[in-house]
Formats: sequence, structure tokens, C-alpha cells
Amino acid sequence: MKLLAATIAVALPVLLSSCGTAEAPKPVAAAQTPRVLIEDAWVRATVGTKDTTMTAAFMALTNPGNADIKLISATSPVAGMVQLHEMAMKDGKMVMQEKAGGVSVPAASHAHLSPGGDHIMLMDLKKPLKPGDEVPLTLKFSDNTTHDLTVPVKAFTEEEEHYHPTPTAK
Amino acid sequence: MKPSRRQLFGYAGAAAAGAAVTGGAVVALDKDTPAPAPVSRNIDPYGDRQPAITAPSPRHGELVAFNLLPGTDKAALARLLRLWSADVVALGNGRPAPGDTAPELATANVALTTTVGFGPKVFELAGQKQAGPDELPVMRHDRLQDGWSGGDLLILVGADDELSVVHAVRRFVADARPFATPAWRQSGFWNGTGPDGKPVTGRNLFGQVDGTGNPAVGTPEFDATVWAADGGTTLVVRRIKLNLDTWDELTRSEQERAIGRKLSTGAPLTGTAEHDELDLEARDADGRPMIAANAHARLSHHSENDGRRIFRKGLNYVHDTGTTRESGLIFLSYQADITGQFFPLLARLDAADALNEWTTTIGSAVFAIPPGFQPGGWIGQKLLG
Repeated sequence: MKLLAATIAVALPVLLSSCGTAEAPKPVAAAQTPRVLIEDAWVRATVGTKDTTMTAAFMALTNPGNADIKLISATSPVAGMVQLHEMAMKDGKMVMQEKAGGVSVPAASHAHLSPGGDHIMLMDLKKPLKPGDEVPLTLKFSDNTTHDLTVPVKAFTEEEEHYHPTPTAK
Repeated sequence: MKPSRRQLFGYAGAAAAGAAVTGGAVVALDKDTPAPAPVSRNIDPYGDRQPAITAPSPRHGELVAFNLLPGTDKAALARLLRLWSADVVALGNGRPAPGDTAPELATANVALTTTVGFGPKVFELAGQKQAGPDELPVMRHDRLQDGWSGGDLLILVGADDELSVVHAVRRFVADARPFATPAWRQSGFWNGTGPDGKPVTGRNLFGQVDGTGNPAVGTPEFDATVWAADGGTTLVVRRIKLNLDTWDELTRSEQERAIGRKLSTGAPLTGTAEHDELDLEARDADGRPMIAANAHARLSHHSENDGRRIFRKGLNYVHDTGTTRESGLIFLSYQADITGQFFPLLARLDAADALNEWTTTIGSAVFAIPPGFQPGGWIGQKLLG
């Protein structure tokens, strides 16, 4: 009986890892051209951080269609400037830079915008963002779709605050 | 991303090993046979109703009641509920909550569910009258402690893995920080699976099969018992201390008389199987009722309560202070209408239940459980949106 219980315990919870979502998106006919699905969006709070004029937005993008789609731009009324950024190795150092051509969301797959990876950079913030605030964010994709989001602000300690350098010299 | 053949094979292979032990045929997967679709044990967080209520009892559960901070107004509460709704969806699908500081602890296929409840303050902020009472009257046998009672908001997380429960609760508490602070926390455990892997009612720490009288999920009786007109329900949380020391001094037949059921199977003392109907008229050779006048099963039976029913789910708990252990039951009762269904039953049991000698309720709280939500929506949207 003990052996049986142990075997059931092993048999049941074997996981399928699929880039963070449990359901695998199924490719569908091009005629339907489904929009990108946006999940788990959040913005890092700036209250109490060294530089309260900039932060980043993170999220999971899922493309259920069979053609690649790119996130090409983002805007927010709370930020003077919004850019799509990537982290890249330059001269042996990890630096942040604007992502040329936007963030690709491959067909039937995901793109994750996350701390230390691709992200949406919000600069020239008009005021510090507190945990519990909400930020409007509009995303534009290469399939000519626009997504208006309301994104929660959450406390999160970044790896190295200085990897987001001040964009304009003061 | 589609699961790879290796992942599918890994799953099917494990299932086949289980089949071999139970005496079933070992299924050989040859490479030309399409792999069977993997079985997800995630419980869809979306729906007209919050899903945990009709889901099987989780192995582990934690409840956290929160008090709203003084600055939390209606708009702020709505922001919290939008935030929590996103967490409910992500964690229920096995993904980290947005902004998760320990994302690796989010695990799929552990049947994780989150239920959100509203205390009276939420209705006050919404400018609406709560449908039911905001608390229960204190019963004669109650010894209520403030530290286990009341609350403005409730989070109830259940899963078949305790680490997943604890992780999810940590996210809900962290995300609530700008809005609300924990008032009490209770955690417990339940085993609703028999040794053969089939669902069973489960037992409390007295050893009793506990919950046999529940209406079955999916029946009209269940729907009438649990769901209010708006698709929500109400939840009563009672923390009931069990005095195991004095209970253990009873003989088995004394223990069985107190409840009116057999300890072995949960069958009524007048029957042979757990779900046999109680024969409340049956008498023994000496002319005494087989199910005593003060037996718990008689007093709580719907036929003795003008047909009133409730839907119970329990979590056993132990609470250690040094080497001293308190044991008990986190009694969870869902019903459409607390005043009409729960309260008369509670009053009747408080007046006469034989079990009162070994049980003491030390915490009591009442929450409205709002309907569920769909993609793009959030918990409580109708009330606070």
C-alpha cells in the first residue's frame, strides 16, 4: 500500500513546462489573425529608489497566431518618454539599450518582458510611482493592433539600479 | 510553446508505472502512436463563480483575514482587487504572480485555488447594504478570541502542495501591503483521497468522517444550498478547538453515540454504508433511539431543521506553543443565506449537541463570497467597479 501511494504521488504531478503558461497556444488559420494576449503586466515602483524618474514595465506576451508579431512601441501618460529596451553584453559588461525593431513575439509562442531581460522603459516620470498605484500603458504591435492596459505598480528591488542610466545629463 | 515529445513521454511514462503497480497493463508508447494529451490539474481561475467552492477539498489550505488601512477608499480597494485578481489567475495557472520575488516557487498542476471574501467594511465602502449579517451572535459555548475573529477581506488559498499555498499567500499579503494588513491567519490540512486514490469525505482529528451530510456538487440541492441570486455565496469560518485528551477517554461506542455515526465508515448507527440515510425513528432493544436525541448527526440533519442545509468544508489544524499542541478544525460553511440557513442550525447545535462537551469555538468570522470573474474582469467588479 505504501508503495502504491508513493507511485501515485510521483505519477500525478509531473509538470509540463511551457514557457510559463500551462496551456499551449494552438496555431490557428491566418484569416483569424488573433491579437497578442497580454498577461501578468506590472510596473516597478520608484518610491524610495535612487532614481525616481524612471522605471520599467514587465509582462508576458503570447502570440496565438501563426505569424510573428512585434511589439513596436509603447506610451504612457505618466512618462515623458517610453522605449523598448533589451539587456546586451557590451565590452564584457551587461548594458541596457534600445531594442532595434521592437520585441518579437514569435508565432504560437511567448515573449517575456522581465527584470534583467527585455522590458518597457518608462522615463521622465512625472511623479514617483508607489506600490498600489495603477499606470495606463498603451502598446502598439506590428499587426496594427493597439492595446490599452491598466498596469499595477509593485515593489521590487532591481539587481542594479544603475543599469538604468539617467537618459539626459543634468 | 507546445509540450515536447519528451515532456509528454515523461508524463505518460510515469502514469504507466502507476498502472503497473495497480495491476493494470503497462502501456507501451511507440513512436508512431500520438502521445495522449497531458492532463492538467490546474483549476480554471475564471468562471461565473469562484472555483474553489465546488472543487475537491485541497490537501492544504490557508486563510488570511485582512483589515483595510484607514486610507483605503473605494477606488483603492478596487485597485487591490484588480491586483489580486491578476495574482489569482497567474498562480492558479502555475505562473509566478506579476512581480513575484520568488518566481520559481510557482508550480503548475497542484490544484491551487484562491477564494476572495468580503467583510462588512467592503460593503460600507461600496455604499451598499450587505445582504446577510456581518457577524454571528455569540453562542453559549463560544469562547471567541479577537485574534481569530472578524476581518474586512479574506483570502483562502488551497492546493495539494503546502509550499505552493505558502508562496501564494505570501504574494497576496505582499501585494495587499499598500491597502490592507493581516488580521489573522489560519492554516490547516485535509485528506480527501482514500488509499486507493479515490475521493473520500475525509476525517477530522476526532477520527470522524466529517462532511457526509453535504449536498453533492452538481445537484440542484447543492445549487439551492450554496448559490445566492447574484452567483455569490457566504462563508462562515469557525475555529473550533477539539479537546482530544478528554475525547480519548471515551470508549468507541461513547464516541459513536455522540455523533450518531460509526467511526469506521461514517455510516449512521442505523446503517451500514457512509451515505445510508439516517433512520431517526429506529430504537434499540431497550427502546432508546439508535441515534441519540443529542447526537450531532441528528441535530444537524436537514430533516430535523425544516430542510435547511449548508455545505461544509473543513481543514484540520494543529497549533503548537512550545511543546503544547492545540488541535482543532477550521470549520468552513458555505450557504446562500446565513440568517436563513446557518444561524438556526448553529443555535440548535449550541443548545444541545453532544459534541459541545469536547469542542470550543474560539474564532468566528463571516464573509460574502462574490461571484467569479472572466478574462478582462476582476473580483468584486460589480460591487466596486
